[in-house]
Amino acid sequence: MAVKGLDIFKLSPKKNCKECGSPTCMAFCMKVAQGAVPIENCPYMSDEAIALLSDATAPPMKTIEVGGHKLGGETVLFRHEKTFVSPTRYAVALASDDADADEVLEAIKAVDYERIGEREYVEYVFIEDKGGDVAGLVQKVIDAGRGAIVETTNTATAEAVLAVSTDVIITGADASNWEAMNAVVGGKAVLGLKGSPADLYDIADALEKADNKKLVFDVTADTVKKTFENAVLVRRSAIRDEAKVLGYPSIVNLTKLAPGDIHMQTALASLFTVKYGSIVVMEKMTYAEALALYGLRQNIFTDPQKPMKVEPGIYPLNGADENSPCMLTVDFALTYFLVSGEIERSKEPVNLLITDASGMSVLTAWAAGKFSSSTVQKFFDEFQIADKIKNRTLILPGKVAVMKGEIQAKLPDWNVVVGTREAVEIVKYLKDKEYVAAAEAAAKSKAPADSTGPAIITEGPIDYDKLVIPEIPHIDMGVTYKQRDPDSKKFVTIGERIHCISPVIREAMNNFDAEPILKRAAEQIKAGATYLDVNIGPAESNGPELMTWAVRLLQENFNNVPLALDTANKRAIEAGIHVYNRTNGKPIVNSADAGSRIENIDLAAANDAIVIALCSADGIAKDNDERMEHCHNMLERGMGLGMESTDLWFDPLFLVVKGMQDKQMDVLNAIKMFADEGLKSTGGLSNNSNGAPKEVRPIMDSALVAMCMMQGLTSAIINPNDRRTMETIRTCDIFKNYELYSDSYLDF
Amino acid sequence: MPFVPKVSAYNAKINTLVIGTGEKALKLGGNNTLPFYEFDAVSENKPAIGVEISDLALEEYVQPGLKSFYEGCDTIPAMAKKAQEIPGASFIALTLASADPNGANTSVEDCVALVKEVADAIELPLAVAGCKNIEKDAELFNKISEALTGKNILVLSAREENYKTIGASAGLAYGQKVGAESAVDINLAKQLNTIMLQLGVSADAIAIQAGSAAAGYGYEYVASTLDRIKNAALQAADTQLQMPIVTPVSTETWAVKESTLPQEEQPEWGDPEQRGIEMEITTASACLACGSDAVILRHPESIKTIAGMIDALTEVK
Repeated sequence: MAVKGLDIFKLSPKKNCKECGSPTCMAFCMKVAQGAVPIENCPYMSDEAIALLSDATAPPMKTIEVGGHKLGGETVLFRHEKTFVSPTRYAVALASDDADADEVLEAIKAVDYERIGEREYVEYVFIEDKGGDVAGLVQKVIDAGRGAIVETTNTATAEAVLAVSTDVIITGADASNWEAMNAVVGGKAVLGLKGSPADLYDIADALEKADNKKLVFDVTADTVKKTFENAVLVRRSAIRDEAKVLGYPSIVNLTKLAPGDIHMQTALASLFTVKYGSIVVMEKMTYAEALALYGLRQNIFTDPQKPMKVEPGIYPLNGADENSPCMLTVDFALTYFLVSGEIERSKEPVNLLITDASGMSVLTAWAAGKFSSSTVQKFFDEFQIADKIKNRTLILPGKVAVMKGEIQAKLPDWNVVVGTREAVEIVKYLKDKEYVAAAEAAAKSKAPADSTGPAIITEGPIDYDKLVIPEIPHIDMGVTYKQRDPDSKKFVTIGERIHCISPVIREAMNNFDAEPILKRAAEQIKAGATYLDVNIGPAESNGPELMTWAVRLLQENFNNVPLALDTANKRAIEAGIHVYNRTNGKPIVNSADAGSRIENIDLAAANDAIVIALCSADGIAKDNDERMEHCHNMLERGMGLGMESTDLWFDPLFLVVKGMQDKQMDVLNAIKMFADEGLKSTGGLSNNSNGAPKEVRPIMDSALVAMCMMQGLTSAIINPNDRRTMETIRTCDIFKNYELYSDSYLDF
Repeated sequence: MPFVPKVSAYNAKINTLVIGTGEKALKLGGNNTLPFYEFDAVSENKPAIGVEISDLALEEYVQPGLKSFYEGCDTIPAMAKKAQEIPGASFIALTLASADPNGANTSVEDCVALVKEVADAIELPLAVAGCKNIEKDAELFNKISEALTGKNILVLSAREENYKTIGASAGLAYGQKVGAESAVDINLAKQLNTIMLQLGVSADAIAIQAGSAAAGYGYEYVASTLDRIKNAALQAADTQLQMPIVTPVSTETWAVKESTLPQEEQPEWGDPEQRGIEMEITTASACLACGSDAVILRHPESIKTIAGMIDALTEVK
């Protein structure tokens, strides 16, 4: 486990002198944490601080690697606090004098299967030394591709085993013989200790002082109750009560607690999978036990921060075959369960096609460019859908009807049909066979294969002369955007209401219909928005035209209102900036992240734009160490390309209270860290109140924005028509002395 | 000085919910530690096991071992009576699956009659689960609560959409105990308890039914919801979450393919009944470890095993 960068930062001089070669103390500490630079590069770190650091930053539980698996390394007692990292491993016990040892090993091999991308099998064999050729057995275990654990108090046996392999656990040391066992095993293999938590503490403490930190604890006692107590107290003391000496993985041997009772062993294996067993030893593992226990383990050890995803692919439902129609949707697990459930209820055979959309819902994925005609085409190629399925009817989710033309163009052999908007309508839709007529109509209306229109250009410089921009109407909406000082310290509100997720806007953008867009712009400007966000969706076929049109439309009608250009289509952003007027502020590129969208920083740098930089790669950052790591990666990239640090606006990613209440303070603290480094920040603040009653949302949003502004947040992407939040922001600007007070300061 | 691990019982504790009457009355909850943390403090009450008897059991309990246990029982009340013999059984959970309007749509009158017969046939306390149809359950629980006044049964469950009807009848008018069911989300669980309390249902007449899933089927949400409810109830002393948790396990675990797929289709998987038992045991054990004060199980073998585990882990005052 990595040392925590933020802990180092607390002890650093925080003077940002740059003498170490890093731009800030924070950046330096993050690099130290990653092991990229030695802490001694900082001339001002005191000896005391360095000594303190090695202690304070040691992880609460060591990670022990043996037999190809990592054990331990946990940092929390409950998975919702962050995540568990090292899944419980299962072992089958084998007595060294067992005449049927070969059969036992064969039986172990029988259970070996895959479950949601994970190999499920018995990872270890626990050999109990009852005399005979223990070392020979270890060799057989290793040959079978399993890790070996040997329980012995015989040093000669231990030596013989070590001659075969040192990648083993040798357990059996207790208060009476640990010195002798350590003399043989220490420094070579992992040594297993037995005893009460107090005994384990003393032995481990002595061994650590003798520099042996390759340990595991066998916490098995005489009774189930005592064993559970040992397992919990060892783990809890290490993680909660800072008894780091107890921070080692634990073995629980169920063959001693419930010999001959496989059902009881299953019950206890489940208990110790949930509560703190690193290796659970059983008498046998057949499919009956494995299917349940491995399923449980996979659930308990999933990362709560990662979106729930199902595997992309073809899911034939209700006995569907190659002649059944296809329905397409995204890999967000809730979407999958809802859609597949409704299809099953219809009893109609359908091939459900699940495409990789990073675990986002249909509209969110579409708006983020993760569910587009190109991703669908890629999916069809990768999974060879056309070879596997003969039926050519492809039903799209109704919410992305706008993609129909683009998908039809990319999959000319298919008959693309728009399905229902909501899953609950699916049963009726399939039973009524509405799609059959629609597919026939689609087949008829298709243009001949050789005239599918001009190819979509995605590479090379944009030829601006060739862009055909529809007319820009000039309509008096009764609102003017007031001239603004781009260097003003006042809080920057970015109005979020011109967004293609809104059906009205989607429709308007599809038809280059100016009025609905201008109407929303006028409402937001009137309400006091500083910037307007312009989300045109993925706009794969006409991004540059659409963005050019939208930028000119808004800026020409509203006195060069500054804009945030929001699309996954980079060429569209480039084209938008090409016609952008900077009088009231630079354009904002919305957005880059530290993962697959990092290149949007390059785009901003090349065009002297501001970029919103999401402090995440794939999925939400698990803690502020990770957030700050992403922040500094992006900061360094931008500055390396000549950007001002203040042109990167860092987004900590606001999290929804209903579901991630315990992470809200992390977000607030991240904002403070950005501010402490002189960095600007922004984000979709109203996400916090998603799903809350509509009368509660403005209260939550305004309270949060006040707390955020205290922490140093400089901007937010919000709905400016929420008066309460806008008044709170204005009032905070008064307190921050960015806006001069008058009795009627709220009359904006 | 030898190392002494810190122990930490909480000041707050889980409410004690009583179901049934007389000698066989059952106390759920009442503890002030995380499940089985007896080194922090000795438990007030053991977690309990309810035996699920579906009103479709005669047709649906087809596994040979299960069938042979109920050999000779040709009515639901006879099965319920027999179920009391399973070691570790502490209440009977009658499930009115056939009441579903999209299924057999058994009438409310017939359901009430069956529930009365079962109640008369058994000595253990009774929990009655509905058919998951919002309107039908509201009607069922109203009539059943009225018919069984004085029996102190647990109705499973009221949901946000029908809590007013069920809370008012079962909880207020007829003095029964009410499960409050939400979909694996601590915020929803708290919300439902809050509005039930606002309705006037007493805190010690409510059980939390925080949702359920079989191991491997999104069980992580159940685990974290139970963990968080117990932490909120004990550590943060949140009175709106201090009700004992009742988790139906068998209805989930006996429906997944690990328990149902015939051996012919996947020979190496072996006997489906054994798979089903281990699935039920695994899920029940995990629920108890995370915070369920009672689980509802079906197979005598699973019940015996889980009861044995509970006994091995607890030493009631």
